[in-house]
Amino acid sequence: MANKTILEVQNLTKFFNTPGGQLHAVDGVSFKIEEGKTLGIVGESGCGKSTTGRTILKLLEPTGGKILFDGQDITGYSRKQMRPLRQEMQMVFQDPFSSLDPRQTVMQLISEPIIEHKLLKSKAEIEARTLELMETVGLAERYVNTYPHELDGGRRQRIGIARALAVRPKLIVCDEPVSALDVSIQAQILNLLKKLQKDLGLTYIFITHDLSVVKYFSDDIAVMYLGQMVEKAPSDILFQNPIHPYTKALLSAIPLPIVGGDKPKRQLIKGEITSPVNLPDECRFMKRCDCVQECCKNGNPQLREVEPNHFVACSCV
Amino acid sequence: MAEDLVLDIKNLVVHYETEDADVHAVNGIDISIGKKRTLGLVGETGAGKTTTALSILNLVPNPPGVIKEGEIFLEGKDVLKMSSADLEKMRGNDVAMIFQDPMTALNPVMTVGDQIGESIAIHQNLSKKEAFEKAKEMLKMVGIAESRAYDYPHQFSGGMKQRVVIAIALACSPQLLIADEPTTALDVTIQAQVLELMKMLIQEQEMSMLLITHDLGVVAEVCEDVAVMYAGRIVEKGTADDVFNHMRHPYTEGLFDSLPNLKQRGEELVPIKGLMPDPSDLPPGCAFAPRCPYATEECSKAVPQLMPVDGSETHFVACSAYNHPEFRLRGNKDGK
Repeated sequence: MANKTILEVQNLTKFFNTPGGQLHAVDGVSFKIEEGKTLGIVGESGCGKSTTGRTILKLLEPTGGKILFDGQDITGYSRKQMRPLRQEMQMVFQDPFSSLDPRQTVMQLISEPIIEHKLLKSKAEIEARTLELMETVGLAERYVNTYPHELDGGRRQRIGIARALAVRPKLIVCDEPVSALDVSIQAQILNLLKKLQKDLGLTYIFITHDLSVVKYFSDDIAVMYLGQMVEKAPSDILFQNPIHPYTKALLSAIPLPIVGGDKPKRQLIKGEITSPVNLPDECRFMKRCDCVQECCKNGNPQLREVEPNHFVACSCV
Repeated sequence: MAEDLVLDIKNLVVHYETEDADVHAVNGIDISIGKKRTLGLVGETGAGKTTTALSILNLVPNPPGVIKEGEIFLEGKDVLKMSSADLEKMRGNDVAMIFQDPMTALNPVMTVGDQIGESIAIHQNLSKKEAFEKAKEMLKMVGIAESRAYDYPHQFSGGMKQRVVIAIALACSPQLLIADEPTTALDVTIQAQVLELMKMLIQEQEMSMLLITHDLGVVAEVCEDVAVMYAGRIVEKGTADDVFNHMRHPYTEGLFDSLPNLKQRGEELVPIKGLMPDPSDLPPGCAFAPRCPYATEECSKAVPQLMPVDGSETHFVACSAYNHPEFRLRGNKDGK
C-alpha cells in the first residue's frame, strides 16, 4: 500500500453563532489519512462528527485551521476553485430516502454527476457508464427506469454510492451510510463498500455512532466528544486498550448479543452530553467522568501520544 | 400453567386491506408471556412486530387494518371481544405502551407533569392535584428531578423524554408493558442508561414486558425469552439461551451473521441475500425459502409450523428442514 497522505486536517474549527453564544461544533480537530485507508469517526449525536465531514468537503466554510487535500491547501478555495476537486472527493449521505430527487429515475440520478462534470459527451457513452456503475454497486439493470420510491432503503443507498463513484473520486466521506438500514441489508452495503475500496483504492472517512460498524470497517478510529477528538488510534489498539474514560464508556455501552457465559459487566456513564455553547476552559468530559481529579479543571486537555500511534486527550493519563 | 400467563396470543392474523392489495402483516402467530417475564420480539422492518403490539391494545388502525382471526388473552380476558369502555379501562391501566420516538409521543403544549398525571387521574379516580403529586413521584422514580414536572417536552433531551414516556407508561402500575423499539432513537450511552432503568423498574414493579426491537444486543441485555419474527410469522422462539446459543432457524443464523460486532476486521460479513418478501405477495410455503441458503424444494410446498426442538418445552422452530433429523445449521454453536 502506498503511504501517500491524501488528506491532512490541521486544527480544524467550525463555530456557529447562536443567540446564546458561540457554538463550538468542531473545535481543533487534526488528523491525516493515507491513501486507500479508512478513518472512522465515532461519537454521539451533537459531537460534531458530521460537521467535521462536511467542513472537510467545504460544504461548510471552516472557521479556522487548514485542510490539505493531496498536498494542496484547499481551506481558502472558492466554490469555483473547488469545482474540479469535487471529482476527487465525494460524500454518501445517511438517509437514502431524502437524499435522492424523487422525480428522477435511477438512470438520471446516476448520470447526473457525469453530465454535471462533463466527463462524457455522447448519450451512448453516458448510458454505458451509468449501467457500468449500476453493476459495480450491485443494482440490476432492470431498475434503470424506476424511481427512488419504488426501491427499498438498501437499493437507494446503492444509488447514493453509485452517484458518489460516478466521478471516480479518491476520497469518499460516508456519513452514517448504514444507520437507516436493517441489519441484513446493512451487512450487504458494508460488504459492498469494502469491496469497492479494494477494487478502486478508495479512501474513506466513515462517520458513525455505531462502534461495531467502525470496528469492522476502519483502519484508524477517532472518538469525538463535544467537537474535539478525545482518542485516536489504530482500530485494533483502540478496541483492545481504550484509555480515555469516554471511549471506555462508549465501548461498554454497546449491548452485546451474547447470553450467559463471558459477558462483560457494563459500565454506565452518567448524565448527558453538555451544551457546546460557551464552553469553560476545563476537560469537556469532566461532568460525566468517573475518575475526575484536580488536574481536570486546569484547562482543556489536548491529544498526547501515550504509546506509538495512540493519542489520548485526558489529563489523568 | 395457563393461568400464569399475562398475555396469550393465539393464531393472530392481521391484514391491511388497501385498494391495491391485501397486505398480510401478521400471519397466524402464537406467543405468550408469563408473569414477570420479558419477551423480546425480534425482526426486521416490515416483519409485523409493531402490528402485533398494536393488536394487543386493539389499536390496529381500521381501516385499512383488519384483525382477521385469533384471540388475544390478557390475564384471561379476550381483548378482541371487549367493549370499547372495557378497552379504555384496560389501556394504560393493565397494559401500557412505550413508543419508539419520544419526540413525537409527547404532547408539546402540556407540561410533563400534567401528561403523566393525566392517565393517573383517569384510571385511579384522583383529583388533578393529587394526580400531579403522584406524577412528581413517578418522575423521581425514572431519575428526573421533581421540580421539572412544570417543564414542557421541548425543554428535555431525547433520553429525558424517553424517561418521561416510561413514567407515563408505568404510572398506573400495568401488568404488561409493551415497549416498541424504546431505545432505537437514543445514543448508545443514553440507551444503556434507559435499558438499565427499564430493567430495574420492571423488576421492582413485578411487571411483564414485550420488547420489540431489531437489535439483538438489546434483547440479550433485557429479555429472558425471545421470539424471532419473519414476514408475519414466528420462525423461532425460546429462552434467550435457546435462541442465542442454540439457534436453529436459518433466518436467526442469518441475523447473527450480519452483525458486524462479532466479526474481526477484514473478515467478510455474511449478509442474508435478497430482501424480505412483499407482504402483499408472500411466496407459498416458507416465506424465508427464497433467501435461505439451506432451502430445498420441500420448503416452498407447505408453511412450516413451530415444532419443539429435540423435545424441548421452551424452544420451538418453524423450519421444514428439520423433518430430516440429521439437519444442522452450518454455524451451529452446539457443534453437532
